[in-house]
Amino acid sequence: MMENKMERKLDEMIDRYREGKISRRAFMKYLGIAAAAAGIAGGPFGLARNAFGAKSITFHSWGGSTSEALRKYAFDPFTKETGIEVIDAAFTGMDAFLTQVKASYPPGGEFNLAHLSAVYDYARYKNLGFNSVLDESKIPNLKNVLPKMIDTLRAITDGKLSAVPYDYGQTGIAYNTKYISKENAENLGASLLWDKSLKGKLGSWGGDFRTNMWYAALHTGQSPNNITRLNDVWDALREQRELMKKYWASGSELMSLLANDEVYATVAWSGRVANLQAEGHPIGYLAPDNTYSWMEYMYVLKGTDMDVAQKLLNFMLEPEPAIAVAEGQKYPPSLDPRKVSLPKSIKKLPAFDPTGTLDGYLFADPEYWNSHQLEWTEKWDRIKAGA
Amino acid sequence: MKLTSGWTWIKIYTLLIYVWMFTPIVAVVLLSFNPQQFGSFPMEGFSFRWYAKLAGNATILGAFKNSLVLGSLTAVLTTAIGIPAAMAFVRYQFPGKETLNTLLLTPIMIPEVVLGVALLIFIRWLQQPKSFALLLIGHVVLTLPYVLLVVQARLVGIKKEYEEAAQTLGASPFQTFRSITFPLLAPAIFAGMLFSFTISFDDVTATLFWATAQNQTVPVKIFGMLRNSISPEINALGTVMIVLTVSIPLLAGYLSRRFARGNGA
Amino acid sequence: MKSDKWKPWALLAPSLTAVFLLLVIPVCFVVVYSFWLRAPSGGDIPAFQFGNYAKFFADFFYPSLVIRTLRVALETVVLCLVMGYIPAYFFYRTESKLKPFLMILIMLPFWISFIIRTLSWINILGDTGLINHVFIKAGVIDNPLPMLYNEGAVLMGLLQYLLPFMILNIYVSLEGIDKSLTEAAKSLGCTEWQAFKEVTLPLSLPGVSAGCLLVFVLTCGTYLPPMILGGPGNDMIANLIFKRIVGTLDWPFGSALSTILLALLGVIVYTYNRYLGINQIFKTLQ
Repeated sequence: MMENKMERKLDEMIDRYREGKISRRAFMKYLGIAAAAAGIAGGPFGLARNAFGAKSITFHSWGGSTSEALRKYAFDPFTKETGIEVIDAAFTGMDAFLTQVKASYPPGGEFNLAHLSAVYDYARYKNLGFNSVLDESKIPNLKNVLPKMIDTLRAITDGKLSAVPYDYGQTGIAYNTKYISKENAENLGASLLWDKSLKGKLGSWGGDFRTNMWYAALHTGQSPNNITRLNDVWDALREQRELMKKYWASGSELMSLLANDEVYATVAWSGRVANLQAEGHPIGYLAPDNTYSWMEYMYVLKGTDMDVAQKLLNFMLEPEPAIAVAEGQKYPPSLDPRKVSLPKSIKKLPAFDPTGTLDGYLFADPEYWNSHQLEWTEKWDRIKAGA
Repeated sequence: MKLTSGWTWIKIYTLLIYVWMFTPIVAVVLLSFNPQQFGSFPMEGFSFRWYAKLAGNATILGAFKNSLVLGSLTAVLTTAIGIPAAMAFVRYQFPGKETLNTLLLTPIMIPEVVLGVALLIFIRWLQQPKSFALLLIGHVVLTLPYVLLVVQARLVGIKKEYEEAAQTLGASPFQTFRSITFPLLAPAIFAGMLFSFTISFDDVTATLFWATAQNQTVPVKIFGMLRNSISPEINALGTVMIVLTVSIPLLAGYLSRRFARGNGA
Repeated sequence: MKSDKWKPWALLAPSLTAVFLLLVIPVCFVVVYSFWLRAPSGGDIPAFQFGNYAKFFADFFYPSLVIRTLRVALETVVLCLVMGYIPAYFFYRTESKLKPFLMILIMLPFWISFIIRTLSWINILGDTGLINHVFIKAGVIDNPLPMLYNEGAVLMGLLQYLLPFMILNIYVSLEGIDKSLTEAAKSLGCTEWQAFKEVTLPLSLPGVSAGCLLVFVLTCGTYLPPMILGGPGNDMIANLIFKRIVGTLDWPFGSALSTILLALLGVIVYTYNRYLGINQIFKTLQ
């Protein structure tokens, strides 16, 4: 009830915004302020950008190896064929990007494609009205994508797609095999993160309440997507805080904590663990039952030239760029191994599913987690701060 | 005798502060030659691997160019509007002076996250897209307080009588500024420009919100790299920057001395 | 005086315009937002209510973060002053040809990204970092000292970032002091120390005061050192603002937090200016 009312209010606000749009602009022009503002905000640079805009499309990602691989195998061939330039920019995180999109003018229109993570964020973009509708017939390579990933997104956007799935991964547990035996880790499962003998040598991701609650739910024997004894989760997290060395804030930090023996066990993104293993560090990866799984997708924001976007997406879904990106960031691609032959380097990645069905991969239920986001983030912040 | 020993202590103290300030910098420089990705001490080997990678990385080099352009323009623009403002505060009496002085210092009081988002909300309300000009003026506002603080502190020490004497002798206000005030202000102007350049060059949070896809700077790119891992290429880039900043003044000093000698001969 | 009343305004016009358009007006938007509501989707709903403020004062959690921030800022100021005055004085008195070079060196750390600089403390203070490595090798300790992820490490990061501001501010005001004043004091029989205490120190106070203020407010607004070098209990108010605005898209509550922080800093700066502020000192000098 309460939420419906709020949503109505929100709709009203958006309507008012749209109505107000024209009159305010006219009003501003009338006052001559728009001219001054244009000098600051737009001016010659803004005009140049708009003129330029017709021949380019922006793509936001984490940068690094992902954008190098895409540049080489997808963007450059795409530009060669179409003459449209891909402007490739880095964002600093899912939340920061959504903040930028929310604050952009025209709403969402400054941004085109983005490499986003997690199904609950897909839902957030939709709820904020930034979603587009893809014409799937224009993206033939979509047929190679794992059906379960596509269906998961479809379920949120009424059978349509605003994005194409691109890769998937897990947040499992990484442990240092010098100090923790494999048997011990497998016996304990999620409870390894509550092992008192590891006091001062444990880590966790401080930036996300979901990851921490997920593992606390597993530790207390509950289903992560339907936590019934919430207080047990909070108690477990309070208890865990006393054992923690560091709540890390980035993958880079996660890797340096593990590589430098600062922590012996922590929740960890599967791709980062693969990276450490490839560098020869004695790090094991543990995926207990109901490990936290997630997927990444190439999202097309509202206001984008859909023909260009669909064409570019099709280039990105070619096996070559998809595999190169996967090798770079060490997350398996969304390509169905039953239809596309994948190299060995991909098949041995942690979290890779050789069956192509993704059965047993538990994703966060977007409805469930988004509806509690505010309340639980605040609670988690307090627990983390020791309050 | 006592003077010497006091002075020696000052020198030792200053040296220690330098050592402390540079420890992490030295670590960055050393690790840029470490062949391993997660190198820590002791280092295992020595290589130019990351420099080779850096040289081929068009994205980082492009961002580096953006940072340099943005920083330089910010430094020039901020100083150009900051000096007159400082003059107004120090040399003139007018109503609301203290309030305005405090107002112009507020950009440092406001956490950048807040300022970053606040400006975006405003721009959205004005229905203007982001642009390089917005980013530049944003940086000018961010760095203005530093120039004001430094220039004002210096200006107070410059006696007004000098300027008045020059004017009595028939110099125009601009001539007075050019031949009296400006040279006396020079250290502060230099410090102010250095401040605004470096702050602009190093700014993460506000730039993160204000930069368009085309003009992202190095710190923003680095922030993004945190997710996976910060490649030691960044250490290499930092080292290159340091070598440049250290060598340019030394080279300039050397050349000017040579030039002077050449003239004398 | 003469009819040059317009002059200061002309001199101030560009700065005032820039600050008004890009700071004052946007900040008014923040204040307005602090009365709004957050929609479940993460959108904002215009409203006029005090719920966001009520939430701040509901229990001790949020105020305690503010108090911690102020305490850490004060510690940083004191440490910066202790560490910074002598090097600034050294620059003022030294006749070395290397002086300009040494001054540029002070800014050198800024040329390496703040994030990298902050992260590099991990290589030094960490369990396998430089200090522990040397100490263990030398047999001073058996087990690594825990130096990372506590308030001390956060202070290290903050000091390294802020010390140059303090040194340069003090230096600039020292540089404005006529050296003949000290000579005069000495010729009147003062010792070097007395001359410093009676002449140089008081005249350098505008720089000291500006430097302290700068370091204080900058500390209150940073979030990277606590995020990278701090433990779970070392977050400061800016970390929370960042989390609310960026993390949960709760702009209304984030705005309320910002407004409270701004008001508090405003009061502090105002009081400071009134009693030992830059303006006060300017006046006595003129």
